[in-house]
Amino acid sequence: MIKVEHLYKSFDGVPVLKDINVEYESGKCNMIIGASGSGKTVLLKSLIGLLEADSGEISYSSVKLSQMKYQEKKQLRQRIGILFQGSALFDFTTVLGNVMFPMEFFTDWSRAQMLERAHYCLEKVNVIGSDDKYPNELSGGMQKRVGIARAIALNPSFLFCDEPNSGLDPHTSILIDRLISDLTKEFNMTTVVNTHDMNSILEIGDKIGFISKGTLLWQGDRHSILKTDCQELKDFICSNTLARNIMEGVK
Amino acid sequence: MISHFFESVGRYFLFLKEVFRRPEKWRIFWRQFILESDKLILSSIIIVGVISLFIGGVLVIQTASNLENPVIDKMYVGYMVRESLILEFCSTMIALILAGKMGSNIASEIGSMRITEQIDAMDMMGVNSAGFLALPKIAAATLLSPLLMLMSLVLGLFGGWFVVEVTQIIPTPSYITGIKSFYNGFYIFYSCFKMSLFCFLISSIAAYKGYWATGGSQGVGRSSTSAIVTISILILMFDLIVTQLMLY
Repeated sequence: MIKVEHLYKSFDGVPVLKDINVEYESGKCNMIIGASGSGKTVLLKSLIGLLEADSGEISYSSVKLSQMKYQEKKQLRQRIGILFQGSALFDFTTVLGNVMFPMEFFTDWSRAQMLERAHYCLEKVNVIGSDDKYPNELSGGMQKRVGIARAIALNPSFLFCDEPNSGLDPHTSILIDRLISDLTKEFNMTTVVNTHDMNSILEIGDKIGFISKGTLLWQGDRHSILKTDCQELKDFICSNTLARNIMEGVK
Repeated sequence: MISHFFESVGRYFLFLKEVFRRPEKWRIFWRQFILESDKLILSSIIIVGVISLFIGGVLVIQTASNLENPVIDKMYVGYMVRESLILEFCSTMIALILAGKMGSNIASEIGSMRITEQIDAMDMMGVNSAGFLALPKIAAATLLSPLLMLMSLVLGLFGGWFVVEVTQIIPTPSYITGIKSFYNGFYIFYSCFKMSLFCFLISSIAAYKGYWATGGSQGVGRSSTSAIVTISILILMFDLIVTQLMLY
């Protein structure tokens, strides 16, 4: 579980996150949603420690991030898997090399064990027979899948996904969403997904937090989101035709 | 501007502190070291070789044309060519050439990894990205570059010999005698030391500039250009300092 308490972050005096309080539960797809520039990427980067918050606390399994020493943070990071918006696959190595990369650094496994685990992860994300391909030889969807395989290589407790559907066609988007959701449940991970894609939100959002102008305005799940009274959230949802139609249908 | 300069210097040394942390796995370090040796040193052999051959030839012609006094023995042409090659050309000039080739390669490679979030991905895995990316490059460039200097010296002298043979601008035996006369082994050490130092500057500054590249592909271009300009100025500056300290 990840707990965020009174989190504030600003850039050059401009507040970007204001008093964020939220809990992300294990075994669930926790979603951070909001329009572009609302502060959701800053929240995600603060959660994973790429940005340092001005004040407030982030706790991983009840251990405060700010009180962790260098080695503890390093160990925590080995329990975190991240899928970046652009996949961020290492272009100096192959698909197999990418998935084996964290294993080479943080395990004492033999090469055979690493290969077995890498193939297991690639099988999980349905990437078969592309071991020797380089990232630039893969489609966007395949890159995301390999990114997920790399993220789960060390069997993480926490999975963070930044805009997992960006640049993907609707069909591939749904496949990636379901993959994230299935893996979350199978491995009981605490998954945090940053998105503004309404299809994803309605497909896999077990717990949803809506951010607008740096403030967490609403929390709920994919069933309650369509019945919300929060006007900003309604405006956000209604910018998507499908969601607007569903919302009107619900009413 | 002054505060920006000191901020950059401070960030550079903080970057070096990260780079010189103990590698997580020595096996991975050595693998990367061999890859980088191939990419940075072996791939520079052709350009260094070609330039050295031509410069050796040019130096012979220039020196011979400036020593036409019949009182001065022709063997001094060979001697002066050798000293020019050892003292300045094979280290400083080759380092300036490598600043362009090696520096832009390192800065753009690491810079594009930064803007495509590959470095963030490494950091988030708990990998020391600065150490993983920069240390093998710095080690390969610093430790192996004296071999390039020695190769450049041999090929420069050979280029000179070839021009002497073809043009007979001076008698070949005089040239051979000249390049064997008044040999000072310390000059070779001085030149190797300079080359190592310059290649340390090239690899570390280029890695630093690439590591902190911002602003998309244009930012990568900017970091690469900035790296080469900074490195070129520093090479000439350190050339002066090291020469004063070691030769005078």
